[in-house]
Amino acid sequence: MTFDFSLITSHFPLLLIGALVTIEITAVSVAIGVMVGLFVGVAELSRYPWLRIPAKIYVDFIRGTPLLVQIFIIYFALPIVLGMRIEPFVAAVAACSINSGAYVAEIFRAGIQSIDKGQMEAGRSLGMSWTQTMVHIVIPQAFRRIIPQLGNEFIAMLKDSSLVSVIGFEELTRKGQLIIASTYGSLEIWSAVAIIYLVMTLSITRFVAYLEKRFH
Amino acid sequence: MIIIKDLHKSFGQKEILKGIDLHVKPSEVVVVIGPSGSGKSTMLRCVNYLEVPTSGTITLHGKTITREVNINTIRAEVGMVFQHFNLFPHMTVLQNITLAPIKVRGMSRHEAEQTAMELLKRVGLEEKADARPAQLSGGQQQRVAIARALAMHPQIMLFDEPTSALDPEMVNEVLEVMKALAESGMTMMVVTHEMGFARQVADRVLFMDDGRIIEQGTPDEVFNHPRETRTREFLSKIL
Repeated sequence: MTFDFSLITSHFPLLLIGALVTIEITAVSVAIGVMVGLFVGVAELSRYPWLRIPAKIYVDFIRGTPLLVQIFIIYFALPIVLGMRIEPFVAAVAACSINSGAYVAEIFRAGIQSIDKGQMEAGRSLGMSWTQTMVHIVIPQAFRRIIPQLGNEFIAMLKDSSLVSVIGFEELTRKGQLIIASTYGSLEIWSAVAIIYLVMTLSITRFVAYLEKRFH
Repeated sequence: MIIIKDLHKSFGQKEILKGIDLHVKPSEVVVVIGPSGSGKSTMLRCVNYLEVPTSGTITLHGKTITREVNINTIRAEVGMVFQHFNLFPHMTVLQNITLAPIKVRGMSRHEAEQTAMELLKRVGLEEKADARPAQLSGGQQQRVAIARALAMHPQIMLFDEPTSALDPEMVNEVLEVMKALAESGMTMMVVTHEMGFARQVADRVLFMDDGRIIEQGTPDEVFNHPRETRTREFLSKIL
């Protein structure tokens, strides 16, 4: 067995571009996911069934089906319904965002429920509406509490985004596949890809730990 | 000021309030006593609709409170102080007090902060304006909670066992603030186990048991000449 380091060094810029794309798709997806998740998480706690039930169905459906299948549905099945092609980037971001939104929704729901119900009562007793109390009192406290879980979700998404390689979207994993297709350097390139993922996830872990400290 | 008529409240099968009738006059201080589980807190929480009555009516200033009228405008007129203070831990003392006047009354930040500082002075905590609730003692937190409720200029103040969660040495500082408030003419309903406070400050004492008002009268009547056996039994246990 030989381990050809030059294979890694010569293709490192390509892999880095892939890594940047991975970060990009993860960041965009989690950012959208947090917005969707906040809205859906609050909707799950609404007293109105027309908000609560669709939110619950969305969360159950997304969490109950594999991300890979969701990617296939958006990239291959949805175009048949819409009658138009969907760009791989759009499909990748859409699938990851919708997926992330469901997990983040559960994080927010649990975070909001963990806030003492006296906080809502105090806000309401001062004449603030349910929404005002949520926005100014409950959600800011819940948000501080769920930072670690949001960090975990970011890491999970970063790794799961490798699945969008199946629709030809050139993020880190796909870049690795393409390089191997022309060099046959499976050992070297997959090792390099794994280490780049590891560096990214560890950096995020550190960053989240720092944020957690700052907010407490 | 407040008229409660035939108020019933059930939680599932269990009836907590079995028909309460009460008329609180302006500037009156009504102290509610009774064993735990007698429905004292539930009655108080019905007054600002934190608990929705099963039946009966509550009228504040001639306006009958229902789900249809804007409950938020009514609540803004009714200050509430909780057993566990319920200050907002992510905000400073000043922000705790100014939030609702700004958001609900549309007061300017400057005006709200001025009012807040006056109220903090009144409860003896003006130097704590920038502190976080977690940096305050229980007694201080409860005084801030009182200031927060007063910042809305309520017509009536409800106190739900305001000293029950306090260390004994902090009970008095809170009772002193409440006493001063009563002397200033505030209409108050107070659920408490502090019989000394009830004797000193109450215009009327209500004794509740098993979801009903068993007896009511001046502190002298209820404490020194109770008519009902249940009142006597309760008082003999706690005095």
